[in-house]
Amino acid sequence: MNKLIIGRYLPGDSIIYRLDPRGKFLITFYFIGIVFLANNVASYGFLLLFVLFAVYISKINLGFFIKGLRPMLWLILFTVLLQLFFTPSDNPMWHWGIFTLSTDGMRIAAYIFIRFVLIIFISTLLTLTTTPIEISDSIESILKPLKVIKFPVTQVALMLSIALRFVPLLIDETTKIMDAQRARGVDFGEGGIMQRIKSFVPILIPLFVSSFSIAYDLAIAMESRGYKDGEGRSKYRVLSWSKRDYMSLIVMLLITIILLFIRSY
Amino acid sequence: MEIIFKNLTQSYEANSPLEGLGLDDVSLTIHDKRFTAIVGKTGSGKSTLVRHINALLKPTSGTILVGDREITPETNNKNLKPLRKNVGMVFQFPESQLFEDTVEKDIMFGPMNFGMSEADAKKSAHKMIELVGLGEEYLEKSPFDLSGGQMRRVAIAGVLASEPETIILDEPTAGLDPVGRKEIMDLFKNLQEQGRTIILITHNMDDVANYAEEMVVIHDAKVKAVGKPKDIFNDKSLLTDDILTLPRSAAFAQKLAEKNFSFPQLPITISELTTEIKRQVHGD
Amino acid sequence: MENIISIKDVTYTYPEAKRPAINGLSLDIYRNEWLSIVGKNGSGKSTLAKLIDGLIESETGSIIVDGQEVNEKNIWEIRSKIGIVFQNPDHQFVGATVEDDVAFGLENQGIPRDEMVKEVDAALKMVDMQDYKTRDPQSLSGGQKQRVAIAGVLATKPSIIIMDESTSMLDPNGRKTVLNLVKQLREEQNMTIISITHDIEETELSERIVILRDGEVVQKASPKTIYDMGHKLTNYGLEEPFSSQVAYLLKDELKLPEGYLNEEELIENIWKLSSKI
Repeated sequence: MNKLIIGRYLPGDSIIYRLDPRGKFLITFYFIGIVFLANNVASYGFLLLFVLFAVYISKINLGFFIKGLRPMLWLILFTVLLQLFFTPSDNPMWHWGIFTLSTDGMRIAAYIFIRFVLIIFISTLLTLTTTPIEISDSIESILKPLKVIKFPVTQVALMLSIALRFVPLLIDETTKIMDAQRARGVDFGEGGIMQRIKSFVPILIPLFVSSFSIAYDLAIAMESRGYKDGEGRSKYRVLSWSKRDYMSLIVMLLITIILLFIRSY
Repeated sequence: MEIIFKNLTQSYEANSPLEGLGLDDVSLTIHDKRFTAIVGKTGSGKSTLVRHINALLKPTSGTILVGDREITPETNNKNLKPLRKNVGMVFQFPESQLFEDTVEKDIMFGPMNFGMSEADAKKSAHKMIELVGLGEEYLEKSPFDLSGGQMRRVAIAGVLASEPETIILDEPTAGLDPVGRKEIMDLFKNLQEQGRTIILITHNMDDVANYAEEMVVIHDAKVKAVGKPKDIFNDKSLLTDDILTLPRSAAFAQKLAEKNFSFPQLPITISELTTEIKRQVHGD
Repeated sequence: MENIISIKDVTYTYPEAKRPAINGLSLDIYRNEWLSIVGKNGSGKSTLAKLIDGLIESETGSIIVDGQEVNEKNIWEIRSKIGIVFQNPDHQFVGATVEDDVAFGLENQGIPRDEMVKEVDAALKMVDMQDYKTRDPQSLSGGQKQRVAIAGVLATKPSIIIMDESTSMLDPNGRKTVLNLVKQLREEQNMTIISITHDIEETELSERIVILRDGEVVQKASPKTIYDMGHKLTNYGLEEPFSSQVAYLLKDELKLPEGYLNEEELIENIWKLSSKI
C-alpha cells in the first residue's frame, strides 16, 4: 500500500505548493490535454523540459516522480513494446513474422514513453503538492454551477473530504485485520482461485463491520456537533486566487502558443 | 520456546525518501515459559518488535530465532504455518478479527487453518469458551450480537484454541472495565503457570509489577533496558529521562520516602508495599 | 442547587436487544457541577449520554436540558449547549486538519468566517494546541487528538461538556494531559462536566459520582461516600481506590482512622504512627 506515490500528499513548501488548488487542478487537466498536441522531437522535448522545470521549482526530489512510474510500469512497457514491434513501415530494419522493427517504430515508441512520463509526472506533481482536502475543495468550487440544477454540491464535497480522511484509517484497519488473520493461519495468495477468494472473506467481513461502526461513530459525532444537512453552513476554509495564479495561467497560455508554433515548424 | 533477536533492524519504506527506523539493532532474548512485559511509549517500536516473532514482519537486517526456526530477511512466506501455530497473537482490540456467523466457528477458524481436525477444533472451542469465562451457551450465538467485552473474550478464545506455546498480547485489556481487566490478566497468568510463554505489551505498570517476571523497555526503536521489573523500576536513569513511569505502589513508597521512611529498593506491588510499611512502623 | 439537566423515568432499549439499556432512570445534574458516571462495560453509561444529547430518543419519561425538553423541536438548540468528547479519537474527526476540525461545529452554526478564525484560535489556545493548527489529525498522538476534539467542542461555547470515556483509549501520558485540561477548564470556565469513566482515579476531583448498573442508578453520592464502599465497588466493575486498598491491607496491624482516606491523608496517618514509636 505504501508503494503508491500517485495520490499521496507530501508536506512541503514551494511556489507550486502555494498555488491555488483550483488552478493546479485545471492546469493539470489542461496540460494532459495538450500533451496530445506534441508531434515531433522538439515539441516533446519542450514539454519534457517544462515538466522537469516544474518538478525543479516544486523542490521535491525527482526520485518521488520516478517512483510514481512504478505502478504503471507494466502498462508502459506493454504499450511501448507494442509500438516498437508493430508499427508498420515501408523500410523496416528488421522483420520477422508479424514483428517489424523500424526507425518509425522506435520514434513512436519513444514518444509514447515520453507521453506517459509527462502525464504521470504532472499528475504526481498535483497530488504531491495538494492536500486531498484542497482537491476536494477545488472539485466543490468547480462543480458549484451545478447547484442550479439542484445537484447537492456541498454534501458531495463533504462526503468526498470525509471519505478521503478515512482512507488512511481504513488502510490501517485492513492491515491490522490481515495481520490478525495471518496470525490465525490464513495464507493470502496461496492455493487455487477459489482458495484465494475464500481467504478474503475473513478480511472483508471484519472490514465491513468496522467501516460501519466507524461511520456510525462519526455520524453520531457530527450530529452532536450540530451537523444537519449541509445547508446554512458557513465555510472556514476559503480558497484565494492571487497574482501568481493568474501568472500560472499565463504561463500555460505561453506554453500552448509555443507548442503550436514548434508543432507546425 | 526461547526467542532470540540478533541485531535486528526494521526500516519501513527502505530506500524511499520517507525511510524511517521501526527497530534499530535490537538484540534480545525472551526466555521460555516466562511472563515478559514489553513497555515503552506509544510509537516506540513495541508492536513492531512482537510482529517479528510470528513473521508478520521480516527483518530488514539481522535475524530472529523462535525455538529452532530462524527468520532472516530472506525468509519467504511459505511454511510459516507451523511457526504461527506455535505463536498465538492477541492484537489490540482483537474483537475486530471476528467474522464467522457463530462464535463456535470463529473459535475453530484458527485451529482448522493450522490443520486440526474438525472434531478436535470443536472440542477446543468448547474448552476455550469456558476458559475465557463465557459459557457453552455462547457457542451458537453470532459474535456480532455480543457486547464489546464478550467479543473480546471470544477473540481471545479463538487465538488460544490453536494451543500456541507462546502467546503475544498487545494491550489485551484496553478499554475494559477494571474487573474485566483483572479477569483477563489472571487468565493469562494461569496459562503461563501451565507452561506457556507470555509476552505482554502494556502501558499499565501495575500489570507489569503484578504479573511479569521479566521486562523489556523499548525507547526510540531501541532496547533500553531488560531485567526483572523490580530492578528496572529501581533504575533511576530510566525514571529521570521520563522513559518509564512507576507502578502505583512504588509511587506511594516514594511519597513515604519524603517523610521519615526509607526504601533501599522501591516496592512494586501492593503486598510488598504494605509489608514494608508494617515493618518500618513497628521499627524492626 | 439548580438543575441543568433533569432526567425522569427514562427507558431506552436498543433495537433487537432483549433488555433495556436504560431502565426507568431518573437523575438530576446540577449546574456547574462535575459529575462522574461510572459502571461496568454495558451498564448504560454511553447510552445515557446519547439520550441527553438527543442522539437517540427515549421511549418513556422526559429529559430537560437547561429548561428545554429534549425533543425534535429543541434538539438543535440543545445540542449547541452540549459538547461531547467521544471515546475513539480517530472516529470523531471530520476535518482534514486540526483547524478545520475545530471549525466544524462553528460552520454548522453558520458563524461568519472572520469570527470563526478568532474562535478557532482561541479554542486551540485553551487546549494548548495552537502550534498544531495546520497538522493532519492522523499525525497526532492519542492525547493530542482528544485535546483537539475538546477544542472543537469548546469552540461553540457549550455550557455542558460530556466526556464519554474520552481517556480510555489513551496511554498514561495522553490520559494525564487530557485530565489536566479538564481540571483547568473546570477552574477557568463556568461549565457543567459529566465524565463517563471506568477509572476510579479519574473520579477523585468530581463533586458527585453516580454508579449505574443494568441501566439503573444504584448509587449517587460524594466521592468520599462512594469510596467508603471499599471492596464492594468491584460488584459494579470498578476498582477500589489505591489508597483504600493499601489501608485495607494495613488495618490488621496498624490503627488507622475509619472511613476513606485519600493518598495524602493515608501517608500523613502512616507517618504519624511511625513517628509515635
